[in-house]
Amino acid sequence: MRSGSPLFDSIEDIEHKFADQGYITDRMLATTVYLSIVLGKPVFLEGEPGVGKTEIAKVMAKVLGSELIRLQCYEGLDTHTALYEWNYPRQMLEVRLQEARGVEKDQIGRNIFSEEFLLKRPLLSAIQAEGDVPPVLLIDEIDRSDEEFEAFLLEVLSDFQITIPEIGTIKSKQRPVVILTSNRTRELHDALKRRCLYHWIDYPTFQKEMRIVEARVPGIQDRLSGQICRFMELIRQEDLYKRPGVAETIDWAQALLSLSADELDPDVVYATLGCILKFKGDIEKVQEANLKQLVDRALMSDGNAGYSSGPGN
Amino acid sequence: MSNLATQQQVQHRKLLIDQMVLFFRALHHAGLAVNSANLIDLCRCFEYIDISNRNEFYAAARTTIVSHQSDIARFDEIFEQFWQQPEKVLLNASEGDESDSVEGNEEEDDKAKVKQEQQADDDEGDDVAAHDTLSELAYSADEFLMQKDLSEMSAVEVERARELIKEFISIIANYKSRRYVANKKRARLDFRRMMRRNAMFEQSGIFMAYKSRRIKKTKLVLLCDVSGSMERYSSFFIEFIYALRAELPDTEVGVFSTRMTMISEQLQAKSVEESLAQVSEQVHDWAGGTNIGGCLREFNDRFAREMLHSRSVVIILSDGWDRGDAYLMREEMEHLHSRVHKLLWLNPLLGAADYQPICRGMQTALPYLDYFLPVHNLESLAQLARTLRTVWR
Repeated sequence: MRSGSPLFDSIEDIEHKFADQGYITDRMLATTVYLSIVLGKPVFLEGEPGVGKTEIAKVMAKVLGSELIRLQCYEGLDTHTALYEWNYPRQMLEVRLQEARGVEKDQIGRNIFSEEFLLKRPLLSAIQAEGDVPPVLLIDEIDRSDEEFEAFLLEVLSDFQITIPEIGTIKSKQRPVVILTSNRTRELHDALKRRCLYHWIDYPTFQKEMRIVEARVPGIQDRLSGQICRFMELIRQEDLYKRPGVAETIDWAQALLSLSADELDPDVVYATLGCILKFKGDIEKVQEANLKQLVDRALMSDGNAGYSSGPGN
Repeated sequence: MSNLATQQQVQHRKLLIDQMVLFFRALHHAGLAVNSANLIDLCRCFEYIDISNRNEFYAAARTTIVSHQSDIARFDEIFEQFWQQPEKVLLNASEGDESDSVEGNEEEDDKAKVKQEQQADDDEGDDVAAHDTLSELAYSADEFLMQKDLSEMSAVEVERARELIKEFISIIANYKSRRYVANKKRARLDFRRMMRRNAMFEQSGIFMAYKSRRIKKTKLVLLCDVSGSMERYSSFFIEFIYALRAELPDTEVGVFSTRMTMISEQLQAKSVEESLAQVSEQVHDWAGGTNIGGCLREFNDRFAREMLHSRSVVIILSDGWDRGDAYLMREEMEHLHSRVHKLLWLNPLLGAADYQPICRGMQTALPYLDYFLPVHNLESLAQLARTLRTVWR
């Protein structure tokens, strides 16, 4: 009934292999990744900053044992930086050398638009990649690029081939695993989204965040990590300008561990608030209003058996 | 036997696809962007997932169909309503369908008839369910608290205003992009074009190619106060909005008094009258009270991410009379200021000779403004253009 892919046997397989690398997925995400591989479609990941979008690509490369090719987007990113560029100094040098060598005039410069003078940029290297396993192509923060680049990407992502006028069309031998991420600073064009499988990464549930902290911060006590995750859950319900992501949770857990705190108390939380809140207004808001109350609530629910249910139980 | 089996296989498959099409229709009616491409994608997924497993099916459907975070809730709702059948016949039937394709199906033969009957019933049920969903989800017309008749300027004035606004925009709206275009001015050598022209290889001379940064249009966001105190300027502002949109079609426009309403879409209608009619239908707090802080907050939370980037220019048109929370307003002004290139406040009262920005709202806003300028009539608009030309950037 199910035909697996050569890379992963099943959705569970993905969950396990990612967990081995310290990345905790949920069923939804694992399915999306699995389908993207079997269907050969890119994954388009959106979510708040710090929920592990970029990390997926890194872990994927590790799991597959393949190369991670990263293209960081920014405004003004163009084909010359993303795809290929001719090595102009070398081309000029070659022409001069040919002149010096006394090559006939109509032969001079004939060879300068060949692969030898081509500088490969991320997209071209992803398409040309050799090897047993396909490379992982991470197109990071695509929302930072401009519409022109988006339109260009459309072509590359649907056919996985690139045409260089002087050389010809280069087709990928194996489809790279493509992961696009966006922080949603602007809306992307539907045409691009349609070519991808979409997944919205939300803030993790309490249980998932516990597992993430355990995986990422070895040596942390269950009790402390439970309190941390509970506190994060509570603070994300606060009215903040920028809510902290999982990356902040991990940073904070590491900070608390290195301060050898056994449990949360208002003083230590106050001192380390900078790990989770990155805006002055947010820090002030939490400090003056209800820091102690939040800590108390995080500790209180800790007393209830297990770390199972949501806040306010 | 085998013949019969294939027939059933085909039939099951057809039923499954019919269900999918129905499901897609329900989604479509609920306003989700579905198309045949993602229908096909979803059907391709069936080969790889266990569609009798509800979670797996849900995951596959969501990832192929939804492409916007704000659609997820709506998708979930339709999904629930469409597939939550007490008998769960649908999923069972599809399970059968899948397993057929690989193995024989002795069991299937027995069950097939029953299933098909159930299926037939179910189809109807689904149709009804889908329609119920539709009527429930149908967009309910907005409350019409107040509708405003919008008066007009004289034709000559309108013409003049348009010219002035055009000038105003040309000052604030162009900036140099990070992209390069060919340019004859000697700014930067364009090696790519030079090599291409082959001039390097002829003794007679070298063709020099240059490039420069492209001029790009700034994204403008205009937030217009339509509270009671601003009523007398409304016809002027409407001209202002129109002239802006004519120059920069992707200008986003919002109006606010107690709530923020983005009206860019309504403004796309062909005729001014038509879109004004639409706008006054949508905006129910026209000439109401003022809560600038709350409105800015709504803008920051809901629209700013999509509409603003670091090169955006936000123009607020307001007299600054605010009855809302000053603390909130300060906070929201700060956020807005931090995420845009320039923040302008155009205040009609500033034109009066003895005006001092002492009202609380204006006091709160002042520290966060890049420019605070008067705008109330044609002269002030001309002045506005002159001032900006000297001080911009």
